Amino acid sequence: MKKRLPLILVLVTGIFGAVTYFIPHHSIQAADESMRNDVMRIIAAFSLVLGLGSILQHHFHKIQHKAQNWQYSWLTVVTIFVTGVIGVFGGMDPSHPGILPTQIGSFSFHMQTLYMNMLVPLGATMFSMLAFFMASAAYRAFRARSFAATLLLAAAFVLMLGAVPLGRMIFHPLPSFAEWILAVPNTAAKRGINFGIQLGMLATSLKILLGIERGWLGGG
Amino acid sequence: MQFWKRLQSIDRRWIYLVVWLVVMIPLIFPFKIKSVATAPVESLFTYIDTMPENKGLIISVDYSPDTQAELQPMLVALLRHAFAIRRPVGILALYPQGLGLGEDAIRQVTAEFNAHAKSGADSVISGREYVFYGWTTPPITPMLGMGQHIAKVFPVDYYGQPTESMPAMRRMKNYDDVGILVSIAAASTPLSWINLAQTQFGIHLGCGITAVSAADYYPYVNSGQFTGMLAGMKGAAEYEELLEQGMVKRGMDWKLRRKGTEAMSSQAAAHLAIIAFIIIGNIAFFVTRRRKS
Repeated sequence: MKKRLPLILVLVTGIFGAVTYFIPHHSIQAADESMRNDVMRIIAAFSLVLGLGSILQHHFHKIQHKAQNWQYSWLTVVTIFVTGVIGVFGGMDPSHPGILPTQIGSFSFHMQTLYMNMLVPLGATMFSMLAFFMASAAYRAFRARSFAATLLLAAAFVLMLGAVPLGRMIFHPLPSFAEWILAVPNTAAKRGINFGIQLGMLATSLKILLGIERGWLGGG
Repeated sequence: MQFWKRLQSIDRRWIYLVVWLVVMIPLIFPFKIKSVATAPVESLFTYIDTMPENKGLIISVDYSPDTQAELQPMLVALLRHAFAIRRPVGILALYPQGLGLGEDAIRQVTAEFNAHAKSGADSVISGREYVFYGWTTPPITPMLGMGQHIAKVFPVDYYGQPTESMPAMRRMKNYDDVGILVSIAAASTPLSWINLAQTQFGIHLGCGITAVSAADYYPYVNSGQFTGMLAGMKGAAEYEELLEQGMVKRGMDWKLRRKGTEAMSSQAAAHLAIIAFIIIGNIAFFVTRRRKS
């Protein structure tokens, strides 16, 4: 029963989800609407609790066993609680204050202030490092070793030059040629790949619905 | 020989230094780059610009701070466009990370328009000209639910105000009142909008995406599933250029800051540096290989 019940649930809800797309009858559509607006939101709220519990358990375990870099786990735990408390009880910004005072003199730690001054710079910094790695990789690994590699190199060259004004100065139709590469040969290849992916997804979905693929149940 | 060999095994920190310089110098001393709009950008701009008066625009802010350098100028430009042509706007986020960026863009653009407003009717006010729906989960709920009744999916807005009675909501009840929905995303969210909202409700869609994922979206632009597309900072700069021309024509020559265009000089310099790296790397590779053989 421990395995059979989830399998039945998946089969029933999966078939229901697909059927609602084809049957416009108001009772089916009303049930679908209730499923989306109520049931799925409740499940999502539970998954939030589950996720929070899981991340806290993981980090408390690391702290308890003094695992590698356990000090950073404290940082994660404290950050979760501080942002959680400010998010729930504190104000969004000075014009939308909350129960918790989130301004001391001119120093503000409202949700939007924290977001714009901490999360945005941190996220942008992490992502901007990609430029350095890409440049280094382009210098070391982008070599015309074979015909395929040369073709890739030539396409990348045209696309990069087409994206800068110098490309237009060197050869006026270059940006249009770069656009053509994306719109025609790229599209042709992508469509082929996408067909394959979609057929694979369809097959995997059917296998999950019919209980043939059971990896999602866990237990290896 | 020794020189080319050494060049091939150059310390990567020198490369990092060059990249840092070519990115930073144009940011401090920018040079003007005139953007020429590509077909997908022009198509999106024209569609929004000529939307019927009774249709609104919905923007889905589906990105996080890591990609905001590329995508935030798109959101700002789209908001400016919608407010300039006086169409109602709805803004939502499918993931919580997008909320803060949406709020920041709304604050910036409303402040710009309200600074130039001559009367209360000219101002841009929450609930009247736009509604910031906020976030709800899972993504399938707003994607399908908004096709039936937007206020049912978002009974209160981001600021906790009931949405049902808002004037902007009365103009935009469901997808029938929406001219186009633009998903600005760093992941594959725009494709989910096609799969769920477009196939079921036939809504027009546009997308704003990072340059690196542009190749994935061309098949959908070519098939007409996306009315238009803004790809990377270049796409944002092209849209900004078209928008400025359009605003000047409407007598709104406000000389607003165009962050996408400003950053293009830095991006162009970085592209040229990477091209130079590839050329030097390949010359060094071929010279050493020939001499070895």
